[in-house]
Amino acid sequence: MNPHAPEQFPSNAREALTDRTLRTALRSATDLFAQRRAAAIDAVPDWQQLREQARAIKAEVLDDLHGHVEKFAAAATAAGAAVHRAADAAAACAIVRQIAAANSAKRLVKSKSMATEEIHLNAALAADGAEPVETDLGEWIIQLAGETPSHIIVPAIHKTREAIGQLFVDKLGIPPSSDPQVLAAHARDRLRAHFAAADLGISGVNFGVAETGTILVLENEGNARMTTTLPKVHVAVMGIEKVIPRFADLAVFLKLLPRSGTGQHLTSYQSLLTGPDPVGGEGPRELHIVLLDNGRSKIAADPVMRQTLACIRCGACLNACPVYQSVGGHAYGSVYPGPIGAILSPQLHGGERAAKLPFASSLCGACKDVCPVKIDIPTLLLELRQRAMQPGKQSSWFERLGWRLWAWSMAGPRRYRLATAIARIGQKLPFVARIAPPLAAWRSSRELPKAAPRPFRSTFRSEP
Amino acid sequence: MSADLAERFTAVLTRVFGRCETVADLPAATARVQELIEELDATVLAGSDAPEVTTVLAALPGGGTRLPHDAPREQLLAADIGLTTAQLGIAETGTLVLESGREQHRLVSLLPKVHIALLPRSRLVGSLVDAFAHLSPSGGPPRARAITFITGPSRTADIELELVVGVHGPKQLIVLILDTL
Repeated sequence: MNPHAPEQFPSNAREALTDRTLRTALRSATDLFAQRRAAAIDAVPDWQQLREQARAIKAEVLDDLHGHVEKFAAAATAAGAAVHRAADAAAACAIVRQIAAANSAKRLVKSKSMATEEIHLNAALAADGAEPVETDLGEWIIQLAGETPSHIIVPAIHKTREAIGQLFVDKLGIPPSSDPQVLAAHARDRLRAHFAAADLGISGVNFGVAETGTILVLENEGNARMTTTLPKVHVAVMGIEKVIPRFADLAVFLKLLPRSGTGQHLTSYQSLLTGPDPVGGEGPRELHIVLLDNGRSKIAADPVMRQTLACIRCGACLNACPVYQSVGGHAYGSVYPGPIGAILSPQLHGGERAAKLPFASSLCGACKDVCPVKIDIPTLLLELRQRAMQPGKQSSWFERLGWRLWAWSMAGPRRYRLATAIARIGQKLPFVARIAPPLAAWRSSRELPKAAPRPFRSTFRSEP
Repeated sequence: MSADLAERFTAVLTRVFGRCETVADLPAATARVQELIEELDATVLAGSDAPEVTTVLAALPGGGTRLPHDAPREQLLAADIGLTTAQLGIAETGTLVLESGREQHRLVSLLPKVHIALLPRSRLVGSLVDAFAHLSPSGGPPRARAITFITGPSRTADIELELVVGVHGPKQLIVLILDTL
């Protein structure tokens, strides 16, 4: 699937940095989103108050995630939905496969969902010959190309219109075009046939309301409405952290999410679904909600890291991040890229797999400033770095030697003077960096700080 | 007050590529729908089961194909216009709120090329917060199993972030605000 792995972030990033097309596309996309977001927020006088309100609602949920999930499950069941629990990705895929098999469903459609990306649901269903057709335009392009999304909101952000035009020529046999209007019209035609024939629709969930069992799906294209209305069975895959306490809380999040994500005041459509349509006249007869844990309970149990789960997947931190802006989503080698991915992925994967991602940050704090639910991403990045370096995970001998020398030189004024004198002479010897390979590696992307030709103390003493 | 709400609703909806006009009453709405049918060169017209929609459809001159809300989906997918009402309009965001159960309009508002919605002025509310209070008056379960918020026609920016209006959902949204019903 993804040719990149999170443990190879440094080499992935180097590769991405040489890709001019990618860098231009990323720059214009992230700049545009940042501008639109700023404009959309300016129009809201109580923006900071809204953020605080949203943070507080999410904190309320995360202080008792289990209790809120139980309440949601009970309310959704009372409304007629079938609620399933999935401890991990494999269990979630098995549940969806079972639902598809029970309904003899072979023609599946799917609307954009990060949770289903996280569990690699398409691959699991493909094994039964029932791979869902992605219906969000960006996701469909990615599926036709056999790639993975590179941005939470704009999955095909890394592809040019010419590349997409060529892809459509190759896969759909249409006449060549690189006009987005024309390409989108082809997508509309092709996907209408899939919608009309589909026997099962799969969606994600943006918010699940504990008191009513309502799920909300938010979108612009209308494909999620199609997916959750036309097939006779609707399966919604929902990370358990998507629960919010009250129906009225939706008003808060609907103000925050589109503005933060695409800079829209509201996306074109929100579907608020409470149970199935038992008569089946206008909607699915069956609604299945798959509650996905996959490591979330463990994160919720950690009082420091818990706030990671407050994320509403708006993508604002990606657009604001200088590292993401330069390397794009694929370099992270994880379903969730950017700053939020750098804290979420290591916790979801566990172990060594994504342990390097928290280091892929300059800690500038832009992510924290834009986060609509005020997740303190820089602090969590530092916490994860610290945990990655716990005893047993030793740093290199060279780094340890460096710190020991530093500690020694700082222990007295005479030692300090000696160390700076050595530095002044040492920096004139170009071979120093070469004879110490670890230093050469460190220098490959950094300038060695220069010692002043004359120390401040001696200048200070010589001035009257 | 409600004049302000209608103005605000219109201004916001227009910014997101929706069309919005004010008409005096149901006969005026009927006349406007007839003009729109000609303007859009529409032949297949689908309608929800709302009494207002039924009245408009009955008053239109004949010709063309009329589809009920429960027509086969293949036919609805090929329809030119879907005519519905909306249960609420949110002025702050230019949003229509459609509550299933109160009207059979889930498909008619989604599948045809153009969605025309009749919105009595009295159903306008100021904000999202007001709308949520209407939708679940007692804080209990919402009044409808499927509630759809619609703000403008369907759109995408998935190819190089260039805006394309009209992808999977309706390519046009036209709201007729009725002064009196």
